[in-house]
Amino acid sequence: MFQIDQYAYTNRLLKVHPGEKMAFAIITMIICLISQSLAVMLAAIALMAAAVIRAGIPLRVYIKLITVPALFLILAVGAVAVSISGQGEGYLWGIALGKFYIGVSPSNLYLAVLLFCRSLGAISCLYFLSLTTPMVEIISILRKLKVPSLFIELMGLIYRFIFVLVETAESIYTSQSSRLGYRNLKTGYSSLGALVGNLLISSYRRSEILFTALSSRGYTGELRVLETKYIVSGKNILAILAIDVLLVLLSLAEMSGGGLIGRIYN
Amino acid sequence: MKRYIVLMLTCFIAVSLIIPENAYAMHIMEGYLPFGWSGLWTALMLPFLFLGMRSIQRTVQEKPSLKMLLGLVGAFAFVLSALKIPSVTGSCSHMTGVGLGTILFGPLAMSVLGCIVLIFQALLLAHGGLTTLGANTFSMAVVGPLAVYGIYRLLQRSGAPREVSVFLAAALGDLLTYVTTSVQLALAYPEAVGGVMASLVKFAGIFAVTQIPLAVSEGLLTVLVFNFLTAHSGQELQELSILRKEGLS
Repeated sequence: MFQIDQYAYTNRLLKVHPGEKMAFAIITMIICLISQSLAVMLAAIALMAAAVIRAGIPLRVYIKLITVPALFLILAVGAVAVSISGQGEGYLWGIALGKFYIGVSPSNLYLAVLLFCRSLGAISCLYFLSLTTPMVEIISILRKLKVPSLFIELMGLIYRFIFVLVETAESIYTSQSSRLGYRNLKTGYSSLGALVGNLLISSYRRSEILFTALSSRGYTGELRVLETKYIVSGKNILAILAIDVLLVLLSLAEMSGGGLIGRIYN
Repeated sequence: MKRYIVLMLTCFIAVSLIIPENAYAMHIMEGYLPFGWSGLWTALMLPFLFLGMRSIQRTVQEKPSLKMLLGLVGAFAFVLSALKIPSVTGSCSHMTGVGLGTILFGPLAMSVLGCIVLIFQALLLAHGGLTTLGANTFSMAVVGPLAVYGIYRLLQRSGAPREVSVFLAAALGDLLTYVTTSVQLALAYPEAVGGVMASLVKFAGIFAVTQIPLAVSEGLLTVLVFNFLTAHSGQELQELSILRKEGLS
């Protein structure tokens, strides 16, 4: 149903302790976010791509997955690159619009490039986490991190119900379209309205049935499930530490040395 | 002069058609906000999350079946945001469901459910992100629902027809969400000349192109859903509004 979720349960890094994968993704993501160095961001993108390939996710699939946010990201950083000002001095490219100038200044262009790489780096980390770690494991790590139990329980419930409801919505959609429910805009809207309304009511009914079923099995307000045991690997932890310390050092070196792009730019 | 305006408009329309999945435009992307701003928005969002959690906790203690209901409603909100709205241009857009959820369940419950839905959107669909979770929760699960709730209550009290209040609440709630997102982006990336205000005009302008039609269709759909529910499931609607009556709003 969700391609990402499917890989999370079938990849080759499934047996690795979820805490290690999560730490790797989150720490690298934070380094990416704080660092001003382009090299660090590019390194993070490459590292995560390598890790995802290592997990046995086909390169073709990964490229396809990452192109969608990357395309949108180009548009999003485009908004940062373009600026409006009263005088068009120092623009690399620009057009006059009445009293104002719309154009791209060198500093904004640099910011946009930096932002693109930083964001793509962070997205790579996110993809690594979500492609290799099943949601159930992420939730159990959050529980160990002492996130309030109500939040954890709601997360668990919502995650499980998503798949039930998507299936319901899909079958309603199929039967509606087989009856020409989406043949034009007007019928499309009223069909979608009916779909959403029905989905809500069926969710409500389902929650009642579920509660009855749970209560009859002794539910007292807490759902407990067995968790998979994982082995903590010292080797992995050392590797993660080494990689992230290297990234931080690279970042510091870049900053004091003016940086890869900084040198070209100045 | 005129040529440029036409050119720019074509560019904007082309851009809004090219965007492969409009859903990506709904949230600030992973890594797009600097570290400090991510932290600040998370800190601003936490009190609302805390209030929401506390009120849910209280309600659930009295009525344990509500936990299941909240779970299904959260999943419903996620599925809703993944449904494609039929559109003329062929590019696909999505509902946020903020209007529907808030009118049914109140703004406090929405802050918690919204936050969880945003986590799942980041992890399952790569929409939004973990570092921008605070900012996205603030715009979509705090400001949006509060706006919807305020507008809906105000219009209901002034005796406006229900369709009108539902439409305006959902559409304006949607718009205010995007205004908040524009403010968040403008604060993080101010213009060298003109500062935050110039930047705000820029971001809000870009958002307006894609989001005003979306807000209108969100409003229309929410009205359609409500009409459907009152026509066919009045009883269930009564029972569902239990969350609001139990003090969750």
